[in-house]
Amino acid sequence: MHRDEIPAGTLYLLILKTLARSGELHGYEIANSIQRISEDVLQVEEGSLYPALQRMLIKRWVTAKWGTTAGNRRARYYQLTAAGRKQLAVEMSQFERVIGAVTRVIEAV
Amino acid sequence: MNWLREIARRLGMLVHRRQFDADLEEEMQLHLELRQQEHLESGMTADSARAAARRQFGNVTSLREKSHVAWGWEWFENLLQDMSYGLRMLRKNPGFTSVAVLTLALGIGANTAIFSVINGVLLNPLPYKNPQQLVVMRENDSLPNVMDIQRQARAFSEGGGINVQRMDYTGGTEPVQVRTGLVDAGFLETLGVQPMLGRIISLVEDTKGGPRLAVASYSFWQNFLGSDPHAVGKAIPLGGNTYTVIGVMPASFAPPAEHADLFVSIWAGDPGAAAQRDVHFMHTYWRLQIGVALAQAQAEMAAIDHRLAEQYPAEEKERKTQLVPLQEWLIGDVRSALLVLFGAVGLVLLIACANFASLLMAREVARHQELVIRSALGAGRGRLIRKTLTESALLSVLGGAAGLLLAQWGTRMLLALRPENLARLSGIHMDTRVLLFALLISVLTGVVFGMAPAWVAARGGVAEALNENGRRTTASAMGQRVRKILVTSELALALVLLVGAGLLIKGFSRLRSTNPGFNPANLMTMYLQLPPTRYREIPKQTQFRRELLARLNSLPGLQAAMVTDIPLGGNYVGHAFVIDGRPPVAVGGEPDVQTLSVMGDYFRVMQIPLRAGRDFTSLDRENQPLVAIVNEQMVRQFFPHENPIGARIHWARETEPFQWMTIIGVVGDVKHSGLDQPVDPAVYTTFPQSDEIWRSFMTLAIRTRDMSPGLVEEAKKQVWSLDSRIPVSDVNTMDQLMAVSLAQQRFNMLLLGLFAALALVLAAVGIYGMMAYRVSQRMHEIGIHIALGAQRRDVLRLVLGDGAKLAFLGIAIGIAGAIALTRLMTSLLFEVKPTDPETFAVVAIVLAIVALAACYVPARRAVRADPMVALRYE
Repeated sequence: MHRDEIPAGTLYLLILKTLARSGELHGYEIANSIQRISEDVLQVEEGSLYPALQRMLIKRWVTAKWGTTAGNRRARYYQLTAAGRKQLAVEMSQFERVIGAVTRVIEAV
Repeated sequence: MNWLREIARRLGMLVHRRQFDADLEEEMQLHLELRQQEHLESGMTADSARAAARRQFGNVTSLREKSHVAWGWEWFENLLQDMSYGLRMLRKNPGFTSVAVLTLALGIGANTAIFSVINGVLLNPLPYKNPQQLVVMRENDSLPNVMDIQRQARAFSEGGGINVQRMDYTGGTEPVQVRTGLVDAGFLETLGVQPMLGRIISLVEDTKGGPRLAVASYSFWQNFLGSDPHAVGKAIPLGGNTYTVIGVMPASFAPPAEHADLFVSIWAGDPGAAAQRDVHFMHTYWRLQIGVALAQAQAEMAAIDHRLAEQYPAEEKERKTQLVPLQEWLIGDVRSALLVLFGAVGLVLLIACANFASLLMAREVARHQELVIRSALGAGRGRLIRKTLTESALLSVLGGAAGLLLAQWGTRMLLALRPENLARLSGIHMDTRVLLFALLISVLTGVVFGMAPAWVAARGGVAEALNENGRRTTASAMGQRVRKILVTSELALALVLLVGAGLLIKGFSRLRSTNPGFNPANLMTMYLQLPPTRYREIPKQTQFRRELLARLNSLPGLQAAMVTDIPLGGNYVGHAFVIDGRPPVAVGGEPDVQTLSVMGDYFRVMQIPLRAGRDFTSLDRENQPLVAIVNEQMVRQFFPHENPIGARIHWARETEPFQWMTIIGVVGDVKHSGLDQPVDPAVYTTFPQSDEIWRSFMTLAIRTRDMSPGLVEEAKKQVWSLDSRIPVSDVNTMDQLMAVSLAQQRFNMLLLGLFAALALVLAAVGIYGMMAYRVSQRMHEIGIHIALGAQRRDVLRLVLGDGAKLAFLGIAIGIAGAIALTRLMTSLLFEVKPTDPETFAVVAIVLAIVALAACYVPARRAVRADPMVALRYE
């Protein structure tokens, strides 16, 4: 099965959106969720979620707290903050602008 | 304040770093396990499931590092890494490490020791209330004038004066003399130190006919009052009267310039002098009103001087009061010496640093390959520089720590050597400021002098250096150039220090060989004072003196005489005088001479030569014509073209009939005030012919081969056989007094000499290290020379010539620097010009010899170069 690397700079967007949709998730769930919803096309180098999550913690887009998984394991759950929600809107509009521009370029005759 | 929060966050996270790592680890571990589980469930084997999970996850270590970067920790981790690497390198090269640390320790230690002195003497505030407001009058003044100034001056909030007199204290086992500060009520008030017990003398009590009250110093309280907490109220016998102790000062208190065991009111201690306007015997201290500048106070004093002069033309015509800030006045003499020493020790540090940099440089060049490999593997130049800097900072901090130990020891040595006028040195110790100073200079030397080698090390192309001859790259050549500059400047700096030390040594030896005008060997001195209450008449004093000398001289093996103030003892009394037959001089404008009364063959005992006329005899006594002997300086100054013998003089301001004294002889000059002080004109008279009752004191001069304590006891016994209540004090041999007189010069010379020696050693090590390195680098070149037939001589010349060029350049620069700098020490030099050519020549030769000797060792090794090895190498 062929998987595409996620476009550069969209990792934050993907994480923010995933969290916005699902509420509280731990890292593994975030990775799985991105994979599943993109129907296995988007492939995150799974480990790179973690430094990204750290940076997002510092920027206060997300908060983290320790909880327990269904399998009764300790896991760190991430949740969007108000700032995170705002950032999501910013990233969305940026992304749409870029995609729109790219689309216009490749569809031009 | 965003950055503040940022710093706080980073610091906070540093503390929680371990927790952070554990959390991240757990999180990642969970991820890997869940993924592995998923793969297992889809039917993979355990091994391939784990491998797949890892592959999907990515490089754990690199991810962890990325997370650290996110939190801003990488600098800290790099630092830890650099430090542990640096420590490992230092441990692996104990020779290099110890030389570098020792070099820095010497420089930093010497600087810290001198700085702690400067800190104690120049920087620490005086132990008085708001000391910056305190000023002194350069001239002494009388109590009536002081009181007028206190009333009139608006510039001062307080003021007061002190005169220290010896008074007999007969409350102990032996009668002793204590130094009693005769003060007015303003004195202790102005300094603003609270008594430890009781109170100080009040304004109301400080008056004519007031009560006899005493405030004890801490040492008096300890030595004579048995540290009694209830000492206040005690009655003590002092100067033939009874005083009541009303207070005790704390241990930290001492008058700014005087030594005093007790403080009593002038009106109680010396009522005669207290009332007289023309007895200018009080040294006064004043406190400026808040907001009043010194110049303002000075202007007001000029107006007051003017008023006093108009009001009291007979006594106060010549007033010209000068105010000086107390701090400045106290450290005036010491200041220049300390600053010169500080400058000198700074040069030592520079040399040490140059050596340090040069050592680092040699090592960096030797390690160039390693650095090149590191940069080929992707280490940035910044990171390389940081690594080298971390190492040099480590070294310098180690050097600083060792230097502190040295400084501690050095400060103790300084205290042991201190001259009398550095008495304030007792307050010297390592305080925070000294520690900060040491830390600062260590880190600065590490960073500043580590910078050049680090920079040189990080230069140079990778490809160029990776080839086999990497050692002879541009970095190496540039390192050599920088080292040459460093070594040359070391030599130049060492020369400056050596010249400074040489000048001081020459001055000191001049001073030591100065003829004091008498023979100081085998001479014992001691001071007595007849209590004025019981020896009110001159004949009674004379009788005591005559009898004492007779009894002392009857002892075997000694000759005794007496004088008012012994040479080098620190005191003398001046008197204005008038010469018979000269045009009259305005009142107050008469010349001043040193006046000394003697008895009992004084000149013969002291071995002061008689130059003309005759000596005093036992016939020059009371009721005989008044006679005087003068010194040669007096003749030079006042009788330049005539024979002084037979001339007549009398003391100024006598009322008629004048007490004419006839000059009967001339004696050689005596250095009375100090070996480095000029000789003042002096007039000697005899005690029996004196008419000044207050001069009831005398210093015995005893010439004897036996300087044992037994002699002193015997002399005391003779004094007490005549009067058991007379204290004997200031027992000194003349050698001791000479040593005191030489102390400051000796101190300067020893310290600067020590620093110069340090500089010489460091510079020698510097040039040696550089030459040794050069020779080792050129070994195969030299080997080829030898293979091609070069002689021993040629090789020696080649290497020595190399060193000699540096040495002579350094010496030339040093001479120019020394000429510019030694001017600053003119005030410390005794009869030596700061550009004394002899000193310059000797020092230059010494330095050249030492430098060449240091080059000779590596040159010898070069001579032994094996041509076979060199050829094989090529």
